[in-house]
Amino acid sequence: MNLLRSEWIKLRTVRVTLVLAIVAAAIPIVVVVLVASLGKHVEDVSGSDLTGLITGTMVVTALLFGVIGALNLTSEYSHGTIRTTFAAVPRRWHVLLVKGGVALAATLVSAIVILLTSLVIGRIILSSRDAHLTFSGDSKAGMVGIVIFCGLLSLFGFGLGLIIRNSAAAITSFVLWPLLLENIAGLVLSAAGVDDPQPWLPYQSGFKMILAEPEFGGSSRLHGGVYFGAVALALVFIGIVINERRDA
Amino acid sequence: MIEVRELTKRFGHTAAVDQLSFDVLPGRVTGFLGPNGSGKSTTMRCMLALDRADAGTALFDGRPYSSMRRPLYEVGALLDAGYVHPGRSARNHLRAISASNGIATVRVDEVLAQVGLTEVAKRRVGAFSLGMRQRLGLAAVLLGDPHTVILDEPANGLDPEGIRWIRDVLVHLATQGKTVLVSSHLLSEMSQMADDLIVIGMGRLIETSSVADFVSKHARQWVRVRSPQIDVLAQQLRNEGATVTAVDAITVEVVGVPAATIGEMAARLGAVLHELAPLQGSLEDAYLEVTASAQEYRAQEYRAQVPVSDGGAA
Repeated sequence: MNLLRSEWIKLRTVRVTLVLAIVAAAIPIVVVVLVASLGKHVEDVSGSDLTGLITGTMVVTALLFGVIGALNLTSEYSHGTIRTTFAAVPRRWHVLLVKGGVALAATLVSAIVILLTSLVIGRIILSSRDAHLTFSGDSKAGMVGIVIFCGLLSLFGFGLGLIIRNSAAAITSFVLWPLLLENIAGLVLSAAGVDDPQPWLPYQSGFKMILAEPEFGGSSRLHGGVYFGAVALALVFIGIVINERRDA
Repeated sequence: MIEVRELTKRFGHTAAVDQLSFDVLPGRVTGFLGPNGSGKSTTMRCMLALDRADAGTALFDGRPYSSMRRPLYEVGALLDAGYVHPGRSARNHLRAISASNGIATVRVDEVLAQVGLTEVAKRRVGAFSLGMRQRLGLAAVLLGDPHTVILDEPANGLDPEGIRWIRDVLVHLATQGKTVLVSSHLLSEMSQMADDLIVIGMGRLIETSSVADFVSKHARQWVRVRSPQIDVLAQQLRNEGATVTAVDAITVEVVGVPAATIGEMAARLGAVLHELAPLQGSLEDAYLEVTASAQEYRAQEYRAQVPVSDGGAA
């Protein structure tokens, strides 16, 4: 409990974390307000359209939470405070698990708040413009999916941070992973004879969680989430093992 | 009490710390000395389980640091005042540290007052001077009121008042029975506050002893003699086997004969003495003498030229 409190204080008392969290929250809310207020023919808008808009823009939110997850650790190394942290709590794995857990919990709670705020605001605006919104099961699953996706990206960023320990390198790797590395990996797998490589690509596999109708590859939303989660946890595990052995 | 035994830390093929053993006793300030790159900081990091030692042990009252659940109550360490997040306030920095060991927040305000940072407690650490960061680092050390204190160059960046303050704090902690290990390059300060010394070079122990014993063993000792009849007295001293070096027309420095013997000799010769002063080199002299062969990086020597002739009394 003491360690939880300590890590929570650290997470919320750094300005860059707060700025990133505010931007992460503002993006979907502002987009929903603008689209719902300025869009034409809103009477034809469905609940799926609104949730699609929210989950789509919240991908940026999820990426920013991943950056916060990485910075949560790498900033400790770049400023040398990791030595103060490990001197205060010599059981490193304990510190690192709690640090990742606090970032994950904060991300999940923030994602739920951002999602619900966007949804409520969008619904109020659209309802005032005579739109009649109903939400399908797939829409609701997509909303649950984006919250979990935010959490898993936070863990993914934290895991990369644990292994790389340098802010710039960790964030670059985190951003290039979906944009470049997985595309290269997909090409390599295709060249190696894998018919549908996407289920094997962690980010793209996890991305299925937020789709209203996950269709490619035949694998399910659940499979995509579990696979991406397993990769994120594996990164965290490898990172903890490395940090246990290395000098602080 | 700190017991370090056969501590070894290698970086590649280089042994930064090489089978180092020493004890640090409670109730005393122990200075940890050595040239740059001698392994002092690495030793301290290994003691605190921050660097993984390749061999050896470091025990605090019989326990390794890594086994402590709430180490801040037992050992307070300041390794580098720069280990702070510049965007965090001083108070939040200490709150995060104290929370990890279950130390009440009220203690944060107490130690901030103790180090004189209350007025800037809510200011971001990035705006702090090095001296203020040193004070903040010391505040973190004091949080758990530990019985062992380890400080690496705590006087770095402090003004004269700050240096005196930190000296007083460390001496006060030692008088309370706490174990204090402090490294510093300010040897004049060390000579004023340390009771014991551990001197290392190239990762190995060179010597461990009390400051007084260290200085008397390694620093030059001589007697300054001033007399209008210095020629007669100097000749007699040379006959007794002393080394006599002229300082000016009526003053010499004598090595090899104690002051009492010189006084008796002057009385026998009827020489008037204007000064008869036994003198001793400083801790700095003794330290430089002992570590001369362990300096990893040596600069060109610039020494003030003293116009004296060897053995030639005027």
